[in-house]
Amino acid sequence: MNLNIKAQDANTYDAIVVGTGISGGWSAKELTENGLNTLVLERGRDVKHVEDYPTATLDPWELPRANQVTDEEAKHYKKQMRTGYTIRESTKHWWIKDTDQPYEERKRFDWIRGYHVGGRSIMWGRQSYRLSPMDFEANAKDGIAVDWPVRYEDIEPWYSHVEKFAGISGEALGLPQLPDSEFLPPMALNCVEEELKKTMSDQFGRVLTIGRNANLTQPHNGRGKCMYRNLCSRGCPYGGYFSSNASTLPAAAATGNMTLRPHSIVNAVIYDEETGKASGVQVVDTESGEMYEYYAKVIFLNASTVGSTAIMLNSKSDRFPNGLGNDSGELGHNMMDHHFRVGANGVYEGMEDEYYWGRRPSGFYIPRYRNLNGNDRDYIRGFGYQGGASREGWERGVRELAIGAELKNLVSAPGKWTMGMTAFGEMLPDHSNRMWLNYDETDKWGQPVVVFDVEFKENEYKMREDMKNDAAEMFEAVGLKNITTFDDAGAPGLGIHEMGTARMGRDPNTSVLNGWNQVHSVPNVFVTDGSFMTSAACQNPSLSYMAFSARAANYAADQLKKGDL
Amino acid sequence: MSSDNKIDRKEAIKRAGLLLGGVVFAPNILGVLNGCTATPGDWSPTLFSNDQARLVTALADVILPADDSPAASELGVPQFIETMVDEVYSDDQQQEFLDGLDKFSDDYRAEIQAEYFDGNDTDKYDFTYHQNRLAVEEDPGSNPFILTFKELTLLGYFTSEVGASEVLRYQAVPGAYEGCIPYEDVGKTWATD
Repeated sequence: MNLNIKAQDANTYDAIVVGTGISGGWSAKELTENGLNTLVLERGRDVKHVEDYPTATLDPWELPRANQVTDEEAKHYKKQMRTGYTIRESTKHWWIKDTDQPYEERKRFDWIRGYHVGGRSIMWGRQSYRLSPMDFEANAKDGIAVDWPVRYEDIEPWYSHVEKFAGISGEALGLPQLPDSEFLPPMALNCVEEELKKTMSDQFGRVLTIGRNANLTQPHNGRGKCMYRNLCSRGCPYGGYFSSNASTLPAAAATGNMTLRPHSIVNAVIYDEETGKASGVQVVDTESGEMYEYYAKVIFLNASTVGSTAIMLNSKSDRFPNGLGNDSGELGHNMMDHHFRVGANGVYEGMEDEYYWGRRPSGFYIPRYRNLNGNDRDYIRGFGYQGGASREGWERGVRELAIGAELKNLVSAPGKWTMGMTAFGEMLPDHSNRMWLNYDETDKWGQPVVVFDVEFKENEYKMREDMKNDAAEMFEAVGLKNITTFDDAGAPGLGIHEMGTARMGRDPNTSVLNGWNQVHSVPNVFVTDGSFMTSAACQNPSLSYMAFSARAANYAADQLKKGDL
Repeated sequence: MSSDNKIDRKEAIKRAGLLLGGVVFAPNILGVLNGCTATPGDWSPTLFSNDQARLVTALADVILPADDSPAASELGVPQFIETMVDEVYSDDQQQEFLDGLDKFSDDYRAEIQAEYFDGNDTDKYDFTYHQNRLAVEEDPGSNPFILTFKELTLLGYFTSEVGASEVLRYQAVPGAYEGCIPYEDVGKTWATD
C-alpha cells in the first residue's frame, strides 16, 4: 500500500462524515445546511436514488428461481442469511458477502450489513418510535450501567425536526411510554387486527395501534407517497420511504457543500497530540489500494455501531494506546441489540367475506405495558409487539388433500385469516458483552477483523417468558384457534439493532461520549450512530439515531461558528 | 383519505381489467411471454434424465391440470422444478429429491405396471391422490417427496405471469391500502403478500 499524501490544502474540509446510512445522511445534511464544506466518506460503492435500484420494479416472473439465490451463491452469504429473509435474488446486492468481509464469533453474533451509499437505510424495517422520558431515566432508576447524560426534553425538539423532514406515518395516542411523533396520516389496520385492538382495550386495558413507520401516506417534501407494493427493500422508485439516498443525501448535495467519496474505508482517525484534537482521517481507497489523508475541523463517525467502534479502536496514538477516546476502557463494551422472535400465531375463524387491497409495508404495534409504574415482574424494563393478520394464500395448498382441478380451485380463493406477532424486548447493557479487534487476522484491505463476545443474559430470558405467554393469552382472548407459541432467540445481532459500544455518559471514567455525542477527551470527534446508546429501550432505534445526529451536527456547527471547536 | 383510496382502487381494478380483458390464452406464445421459462417442447433437461423429465411433466400436470387456465407444463413449471432442484437445492437436498422421484416412479410401476408418464389420467390421478393423502396425514414435521414436489409445482405456477395474474390476482402497483373490503371486490387470492 502506498502512502500517497497529497497537498494538505486540497484534502482539507470543514467537516468529515464517515458513513452514509441513516445517521451519516443526517449528519451530512445538517452540517452542509449549516454552510460547512463537508466530505462524506462511504466504504462501499455509490448508489444513486432510483437509477441504482435494479430490481425495484421487477414482477415475480421476471426474477429467476422464484427470487431464491443459487446454492453456490448462498455459500458467500452464510452469516447474512441467518435472518432468513435478507438474501434474495432481488435484494442480495444490498448485503455484503461474508466471504469478503470476515469476522469472528466467540459466541454466535449475527452481524448483518450492507456497504454502499445509503447503507442499511435502503433495507431497514422503517418502524420509527421515539424513546420516552422513562427510557432516558431507566438506567439511573434501576442502577444499571450509567445514566444517560440527556433527558427526553433535550431530544424532543430534534425528534420533531427529523420527523418533519423524513415523514413518519402513525396514530397519535398521547402515551407517556411512547411519545407521539409529528405524524403523517396512519395506515389502516385490517378487519381482524381491529378485532384484536378491541379485545386488547376491553379485556386488558392495553393499546394496539398501526405501526409507526417511515413510509409516506401522502406526498412529502418532493417525494411520492407509498404505493403499497411492499417491495421497499429493493429501493423505492417513488421515494415512498425514508432512506439516505431518497432524502438526506439529496438535501446535502443541494447545498453545494457536499463532496461524496465512495470506495473509501476509514482506517483510523488521526489524533494531533499538540492540539489535543483529531486532525483528520486516514482512508484506504478500495479501488486503488492507496491510502489518503483528509483533514477537517470536525469529524462525525457514522460508520454504524460496529464500524465506528472499530475505527476508534484502531485509532491508536501515544495519548490513546487503547483506541481514540478510550480512557474509560468502555469502548467496544456494552453491546446491545433487541431480543425477539418470541410470540404466537393463531387462526381467526370468520370474516371470510372480507379481504384487503394493497400490500401494507407495516403491521400493528402493541406499545410496552409491563413495568410502567415501578417494577412488578421478575425482570426489569419491557417489550412491545409487532405483528399482523392476513388471509392464507396459495401456500396452504401444499398440505391439503386436494390435487388437480380441485386444488386449483381451492387456492384461487384465499384461506382463513391468520395472525401472528413477535415481541421486541429491551436488552440490558452489560460490560461483558463486547467486541474487539484481532490484529492477527486482517481482511483484504489490511483491516483487523472484528471479534464478538456477546450473549443474552438472565433479564432477557426472564422477560421472554412474559413475551411468549402474554402473546398467547391475548390471542386466546380474541378467540383465535390453533394457537402456537414460538421462542427462538437466535443470537444478538439478529435484530440488526446493534448499539451501545461507545456509550454516552456523564463521567469520562465510565463512558466514551458526552451528552452531545462528543468524545469526552477529543472534542471535535462526534459519534452519532447506534454506538452512542446508553440503553436500548424496546423501541426500534433508527429514529433516535436521526434525532441525535441532527442535534449533534447543529451543536458542532454552532461551536465551530463560535470558535469553540 | 379512505374515499381517495376507494377511487384509486376502483381505478386500479378498471386498469387491470383493461390490461387483461380480451387476452386469449395462446400456449405457443408463452415461451415468449415468460422469457427464460420456455415451453416443455423447447426444454432440454440438464439435471433430469429424459424419463425423469417426462415424469416431472406428467406429475406437475396431474397436480395442476389444464381447465379454464393452463396446465403446469404449459407455464414452464417442469423446467422451473429442474432449475430449483439443480441450482437452489444443496447437494443433499438434490439427491433426496432425485431419489424421491425415482421411488415415486418405481411405486407406480409396481402398482399399475406402467410408466407414470404413459399412464392414463384416472390411474395417475388416483395414485397421486393416494400418495398425497398419505403424506398430508403424516406427521406435519416430516417432508415427504410428494409435498416437496407439490410445493415446487405451486411455486412455479403462481410465480409465472399467467399463474399470478390470471389464476390468482396480481397488482404490481396497488396504489393504496384498504384493510377491510368485500372479498368480491378482489375476487381471487392475492398472488403476492
